[in-house]
Amino acid sequence: MTETEFDVQAFARDINELLVLSTLRSGAKHGYQIGLDVESESNGLFRFRHGTLYPILHRLEEEKLIRGSWKKDGGRQKKVYSLTRAGERHLEGRTSRVQEIVDRLLTVLRQPGEARA
Amino acid sequence: MNGGAGSGFSPVLRAVERRLALPLPKRVRFLRELEFDLQELAGRLVADGVPAEEARRQAVEVLVPDHGTVEELDSLHATFYRRLTRPLNPGRLRLVERGTLAVLTAGILIGETFTLLQADLLSDPSPFLWPVLLGGGVLLAMAGAKAFQLWVKGNHSRLWAGLNPILVTAGGILALGLAGALWELFHLAGALEAAPERAGVLVPGWLARQSVLLSVALILSLAGGLAWFVLSQCVAFLSSARRELLEPDAAPSLKKEE
Repeated sequence: MTETEFDVQAFARDINELLVLSTLRSGAKHGYQIGLDVESESNGLFRFRHGTLYPILHRLEEEKLIRGSWKKDGGRQKKVYSLTRAGERHLEGRTSRVQEIVDRLLTVLRQPGEARA
Repeated sequence: MNGGAGSGFSPVLRAVERRLALPLPKRVRFLRELEFDLQELAGRLVADGVPAEEARRQAVEVLVPDHGTVEELDSLHATFYRRLTRPLNPGRLRLVERGTLAVLTAGILIGETFTLLQADLLSDPSPFLWPVLLGGGVLLAMAGAKAFQLWVKGNHSRLWAGLNPILVTAGGILALGLAGALWELFHLAGALEAAPERAGVLVPGWLARQSVLLSVALILSLAGGLAWFVLSQCVAFLSSARRELLEPDAAPSLKKEE
């Protein structure tokens, strides 16, 4: 089966986006809360630093996978993001793809010592 | 709406703003979003017992975008024109833009002349009509260039630059038209004194020339004034949101030097 070349950078970006989408399944959140939940749900394995979360959120919003809206919070304005239907479908589809990639990787890693030419 | 007042992060937000090239409305929205998150994170850290200064420092480290992230944000929010011209060398792009502006100015001048020719108003033009038309071409090109900068390029780094020259040029065109009419009136008076029997020819001719000159000067000046007004209102609106967020203690004014 021929596959298009696997792009590691795109995959890493996909992972970040999927993490954000999955954490929004439990309800609308603002940016910092999303980062906090991703970190807590992954036991610290995935963390966003140096504002890297914002381009991800803005890109997902532009692609209509999440929806951003402004709410008042004690005299301040906060931007809250929620998952759209398209985002839910995207999350399901890409999660299967990630599963497939990880399964293949594990298959390769667990090959019993094959001699390579 | 309380933007930056009392947040304590205004200096941080101003530093971030200086690094961003986003169009102003998106820039302000992003900074407002960042401000809330910084306050939330710092507040949470303080509630966990972290000293306030350290909490602020940690919040900034986690949330403030680094250079790569800023570039990514700029790229993501770039206008269509910026995305289209990204492959071009900045020097070459500037050359293309200036060349286009020169062509636009020439086009406006040709358009003005053609319009007057169509209306048969150039049979006996005042000599002042040509500088008025030239000024009008320059004026409309300046207004077009400013509008292009604001709405097509999304370049909001020097909002107020280029606005006053539009108003001054509009005023100058009107002044030139009036001065021309007065100058020719003076010469008409001299001609009538020397040959009063030619009044029947000289006066209608003068009236026709000056009505064209003054009408064109007035129309161009009003168009320039209207363009200045619209552009100023747009700029004031753009900068007021920014000022509210980043300079909450600044006295409100129409114009802010950036």
